[in-house]
Amino acid sequence: MIAQGKTNVAARYGMSIDVDRCNGCGACMVACAAENNVPPAANGATERTGLTWIRVYRVDNGGEGNERRSAFVPMLCQHCGKDAPCVAVCPQQAVDVDPATGIVGQMPERCLGCRYCMAACPYHARSFNWSDPAWPAGMEKTLNPDVAPRMRGVVEKCNLCQGRLHTAKAKAAMAGRVEIDPADYVPACVEACPTRAIHFGNLNDAASEVAQESHRKGSFRMLEALHTDPKIYYQSKKDWVRETASAPRPGKENARG
Amino acid sequence: MAGAVLTPAPWRLITDTALWSENWPGVPRPARGEIRARFTTCALCPAGCAVRARCVGEQPVLLTGVSGGLCPFGLSAHHLPYHPARLRKGPVAEATAAVAGKAGQGIAVLDLNPGRTASWSYRRAMGAMKGAYLTPQAEPFAYDLSAARTVLSIGTPLLDGWGTPSKVNAARPNFRLIQAEAMESRTAMLAEQWIPIAPGSESAFAKSIPQLEAARELSLVLGEGPEIAEINQRIGAFGKTVFGRSEAVVPETWTREAAAVTAFADVPDHSIAVLLIDETPATSYIPWHRIEQKLVRDNPVVVTFAAHRGGYARHAQFALPTAMYPEVLDDVAPAADAIRPVFRLAAPLVATPTGVVSLAEFVGTLSGVPVANVLRERADAIHHAGQGTLHTYADRQRTAVKELTADAFWKGLNEGGEWTWEDAKPRAAVMNRAEVRPVEPVESPADLPLVAISEPHYAGLVSPLLTKLYQESNLLLAPNRIALHPKDARDAGVVDGGRAMLQTRLGKCAVEVTVDAAVPAGAVQVGSAPGIQDVCGHAARAKVVSV
Amino acid sequence: MKLRGPIVFLAGVLVALGAGWAGFPRLIYQTRRQPVDFSHQVHAEKAGAKCEDCHAYRADGSFAGVPALDKCSGCHTAAMGSTVAEKNFIDQYVTPQREPEWLVYARQPENVYFSHITHTKRGNLKCEQCHGNQGASNSLPPYQQDRISGYSRDIWGHAGRPAMTMDACVACHRQSHLEHSCLDCHK
Repeated sequence: MIAQGKTNVAARYGMSIDVDRCNGCGACMVACAAENNVPPAANGATERTGLTWIRVYRVDNGGEGNERRSAFVPMLCQHCGKDAPCVAVCPQQAVDVDPATGIVGQMPERCLGCRYCMAACPYHARSFNWSDPAWPAGMEKTLNPDVAPRMRGVVEKCNLCQGRLHTAKAKAAMAGRVEIDPADYVPACVEACPTRAIHFGNLNDAASEVAQESHRKGSFRMLEALHTDPKIYYQSKKDWVRETASAPRPGKENARG
Repeated sequence: MAGAVLTPAPWRLITDTALWSENWPGVPRPARGEIRARFTTCALCPAGCAVRARCVGEQPVLLTGVSGGLCPFGLSAHHLPYHPARLRKGPVAEATAAVAGKAGQGIAVLDLNPGRTASWSYRRAMGAMKGAYLTPQAEPFAYDLSAARTVLSIGTPLLDGWGTPSKVNAARPNFRLIQAEAMESRTAMLAEQWIPIAPGSESAFAKSIPQLEAARELSLVLGEGPEIAEINQRIGAFGKTVFGRSEAVVPETWTREAAAVTAFADVPDHSIAVLLIDETPATSYIPWHRIEQKLVRDNPVVVTFAAHRGGYARHAQFALPTAMYPEVLDDVAPAADAIRPVFRLAAPLVATPTGVVSLAEFVGTLSGVPVANVLRERADAIHHAGQGTLHTYADRQRTAVKELTADAFWKGLNEGGEWTWEDAKPRAAVMNRAEVRPVEPVESPADLPLVAISEPHYAGLVSPLLTKLYQESNLLLAPNRIALHPKDARDAGVVDGGRAMLQTRLGKCAVEVTVDAAVPAGAVQVGSAPGIQDVCGHAARAKVVSV
Repeated sequence: MKLRGPIVFLAGVLVALGAGWAGFPRLIYQTRRQPVDFSHQVHAEKAGAKCEDCHAYRADGSFAGVPALDKCSGCHTAAMGSTVAEKNFIDQYVTPQREPEWLVYARQPENVYFSHITHTKRGNLKCEQCHGNQGASNSLPPYQQDRISGYSRDIWGHAGRPAMTMDACVACHRQSHLEHSCLDCHK
């Protein structure tokens, strides 16, 4: 019989992304792919068929010439509350919201590849493996041993670098601690950002940077009208950026990003 | 059948098949092992960011910055040894014979990443052989953003990988940025003010700066072209925000032996019989037609030392494979914002591949100049001078050089460390001669209706994972892509994601098309692929033809 | 004959039952030998008293598993005893510096994350609870590999637990109310 029960106070991991600091370099996207063993694009993969757990979109205020202003918005799984749309639709119970961390987890091995969750996700945060992952000869040596590569025919998405949470927990256990050290659990995109536009932490911890930023003026969440209760907060001083988050502007010829 | 169902056999088979399918043969398995951290300096560009490599055993699996993040190219540099476009073998003996056969005729080294210790080896070898040492720019400046209050940048990607990003980010809250650029670039987006100008009118805009409202407040102007230095001098930026680029001390014998630095544009036409190009850590690309112009008409020999097949290897008679970061020990040239001397070593993270050659050793053998141990000699010279401090990445300690033995200094540099001399007096900026730039002949807009806007970064070889930015999203303009305004795309009859020909007076190049309303009408944004740069530079007139 | 049908049917059932119960386990499992005839008992007496002395944790809490050859060659550069097994081990592995390809009974699929330290230190489990009492065994049991899935039939012969399947993990976690999320144990 295991002696120790659950002692952790439930955490709610989330992010606060400062849109005004993002310069759209894409470091988060590359760091995420390297950390999570996401393969390079298969031949012919496009924006629609590629694999990106985090994606930086460019949005603009619709102005012409001088009036035009643009911004970069990193989009990843928004880690919705317990009524996440993807969880509700999955016929395989391959998606769950961890009550201990709030992380929306995707289990590729349970996934049967119906892509219902991709249709249900209002944030386009999920991607489908149209083919087996392939790396150029020799490059598989650079794979991260803390994350299992996925096979073809399954959906995958951001899990806030679960592998790093595992490592942080093991380190805490080794040191005889129950709680992890927040410095040990930082997702790859947060760590990689050269402009420090992304902050990460426990939203339930009132002292954390993210919890404070989530209440700050200018803080917003994506498509709040849908009541998905995301844990990814954004902030911008620009009104038009905040408006973009409430509803996508249709009819654009081509949005790059 | 009925009996079989009552036995474990079918159930076991079902479970086993499920388990087997989880270990699908098409999915590679990551190697396991002890996780260790190693430190080095990124040598992909002169920023020289400190890198922490997460390794399984000896193999790096993830690169991260030591203080702050890294750019997407630096983050994925540990994939470069496995890139399918790597050049792995080449005709070394034939190239050596061809170069030896031209002994006594005009030999030159073109260094596309000057300021390294290897650059000194080239200069010394050229000095011994009476050859020329060529760089894209003769006397680069160094800029001090921390002393700037209002910066006007004419198309410089200041907030997008310019200089040392960590220093730029640190200085950013204290200066106001005005970005004059044809497109709303990444830097323009984050600037306090963006002044849209017509593509190709950078020079005209620079001349009009004194009439600008903000002219009196300017503390620094950044941009390309001969006018910029003059403006900086006029606004009093010299000695305040503009300096000469500093280099760490070198052994005294080197300076005596070294050939002078010549800007590539200053070389007389048709004067080079043997050209050796170092393009491995290239930070810029000179279009081939401009190189060809400098070569003798009669059988010139061009040998490029390249890590991949995509650059000059397409044109040169001989392309010899070289090792690159993170496979080889090298130092990093000072960045555009290095106003004080620095010295960093990029220690290899993976084994150097077999069969590679280095240009330094090649010219060393040709000229008889010993180059085998130059990095250590230079580190010893710095140590001997006794100035500055060594910052080691692993423990984030700063130690005065005086307190270290020569061996400890060398060891510290090799295990990830940066030597800086913070209290050195910055070098004064020297006005260089007006840079000779090829004059684009006036062409009829009807014939070539578009004006080209270049991507600011040239990356010779990038990780295959960069498809995340180039192909699986459209965040960066892929090297082989062009972007057009919807109206121009309609006129040319091309569609988003389609293929087309980019045509200029120099030739044509097959490209892929992005249709993007952010590109001004009448302009075409072109990717940085050498194939495109060979036919189309910034502000060149071009036309897009559907295929 | 009226009974012929049922007799054939019953005979078929019996044959299938026999094949399924008796023949199948022989067919599906392939018995492989460990590269070295290793005695935990001898090593426990002479080299280390605790499991962790050889099966060590690293400073970051990860588990090093079966020790690498250099740990063995620390003592076994030359024969210490007179057994054939040791002589073979030195000749085949220590001298040519070749890592023995140990067959790990508890090997998990790639998508499984299992932290030893969490179970032993936070969960206070004894090694023996999963691995059986191998510390006292004198030889390694044969490794019975499933021909299809490639995993061992059980963790440690028949003395320990049966194969470490997800059912076994979940049963224990459920008992102690530690069932949170799939990604607790999957990566």
